Amino acid sequence: MKLQGKTALVTGGRGGIGRAICARFLAEGARVYAADLSEGGSLEAPGGDAEFVRLDVSREDQVREAMDRITDEAGKLDILVNAAGIEIEKTIEDTTLDEWNRSFAVNVTGTFLTSKYALPLMRRAATNGTTASLINFGSYDGFIADPGLAAYCATKGAVHALTRAMACDHGPEGIRVNAICPGYIDTPMLQSFFTGDGSGGGGKDIGELQQAVRDVHPMRSYGTPDDIANLVNWLASDEARYASGQLWVLDGGLSAQVQQMKL
Amino acid sequence: MSVAIVTGAGRGIGRAIALRLVADGYTVLGCGRSARGDDFPKGAEWVQASVAETAGAEQILIAAQTLGRVTLLVNNAGVQVEKTVADSTDADWDLVIGANCRGVFNMCRAVLPGMEQSGGVIVNIGSISATAADPSMALYNASKAFVHGLTRSIAVDHGPKVRCNAIAPGWILTEMADDAFALANDPEAARRDALARHPVGRMGTPEDIANMVSWLASDQAAYVSGATFTVDGGMTAASPLNPGLF
Repeated sequence: MKLQGKTALVTGGRGGIGRAICARFLAEGARVYAADLSEGGSLEAPGGDAEFVRLDVSREDQVREAMDRITDEAGKLDILVNAAGIEIEKTIEDTTLDEWNRSFAVNVTGTFLTSKYALPLMRRAATNGTTASLINFGSYDGFIADPGLAAYCATKGAVHALTRAMACDHGPEGIRVNAICPGYIDTPMLQSFFTGDGSGGGGKDIGELQQAVRDVHPMRSYGTPDDIANLVNWLASDEARYASGQLWVLDGGLSAQVQQMKL
Repeated sequence: MSVAIVTGAGRGIGRAIALRLVADGYTVLGCGRSARGDDFPKGAEWVQASVAETAGAEQILIAAQTLGRVTLLVNNAGVQVEKTVADSTDADWDLVIGANCRGVFNMCRAVLPGMEQSGGVIVNIGSISATAADPSMALYNASKAFVHGLTRSIAVDHGPKVRCNAIAPGWILTEMADDAFALANDPEAARRDALARHPVGRMGTPEDIANMVSWLASDQAAYVSGATFTVDGGMTAASPLNPGLF
């Protein structure tokens, strides 16, 4: 029980990765708030379910309300996980201004807003040498590009830079800030990428496509949400008390390799 | 006369660099483990010596000094052994580390006293494999990471008289690459796939790397030191997933 006595807020808490993080936090003894646009199915985790917060992270009023509620109910916030994110599968030429703005509103502004309003609560948790942990979601796409994901790649690069900036600014207050940069993780977002009408799928057999993707990975598989939750859990715990300002790539070795000629 | 030393100058990238530096007005001394080839640029000098040996590096320096003041060193000599760590022998280690690491060290150490007196530029040829791995190229990948690291150390320790930078080439079309494509199951498909991985729509040529060497050696790069510049047609900006898969 690494997170006993800690309070956590996970945005995108009903998404593929968010659910796994909430389940893990609950199992580790934390009090967990799962924030998302809609409640979706309940979380059937051994630790019970997270407390649901209806939240559009791009809306300042809603973010303030969410923090007010956590202030009233828990009085502090030890862990903030900014896992809410959207992905537009287009080149910049095909991306509309609305789509571009929406990508930044959720992925970048959302991270900004929840962090901004969570910081006072996190300072309350960071006392007596205990650190609070803020975990953003970047992406390996913030380092190297997948085709047809231009706005997404740009937002994740912004999250990486924001992560380092926040780590510098709030480290002295006992708040650690890190970003996890996942590669291909088996989530509804990935399945939508494979089958969607954007650049994904393209009428190819989904099974073959997925195998081809796995084969490019040194681990010959893509990741599961639990793989991400494992690292989130460690970064959230006191064991990670010296870890801050880093971008943690978790991609089964995908980006460790140079592209290979098919000979 | 400004003398430029180019190691591993007998073929491929090294020969293109030597040719370019002759055109830029340098007195060029090329070197390699073999005798001077018939196709080595006419305007350049040649010395047969191995950079992996301290004595070889000294021999190259003495040959260069008879031509004039050494103002440019291009460490291009390198070898690759296509093996994993488990398969690599002591002889593989000595070969790869000898040429790629010790060779660069030997040559830098040889020219630095002169360059610290009157200034100079060192350009090391690293690799994109220094920061992300090519499979079954373990010692090569590691040796190129050494080159990037040594580049920074020399820039820090020996500025402001000496500027030192590295170039990380991607896939450059040399005789070696042509051979690899010829051996592919479907050479045409292999070429198509390789092209699709390059945002600029082609693979590199030795001249592309020589262009960067020429620029780094020039006064245009007077404020550039300790840097590693990637010249790969955009390849490493893209995910390693198969192009066209999605």
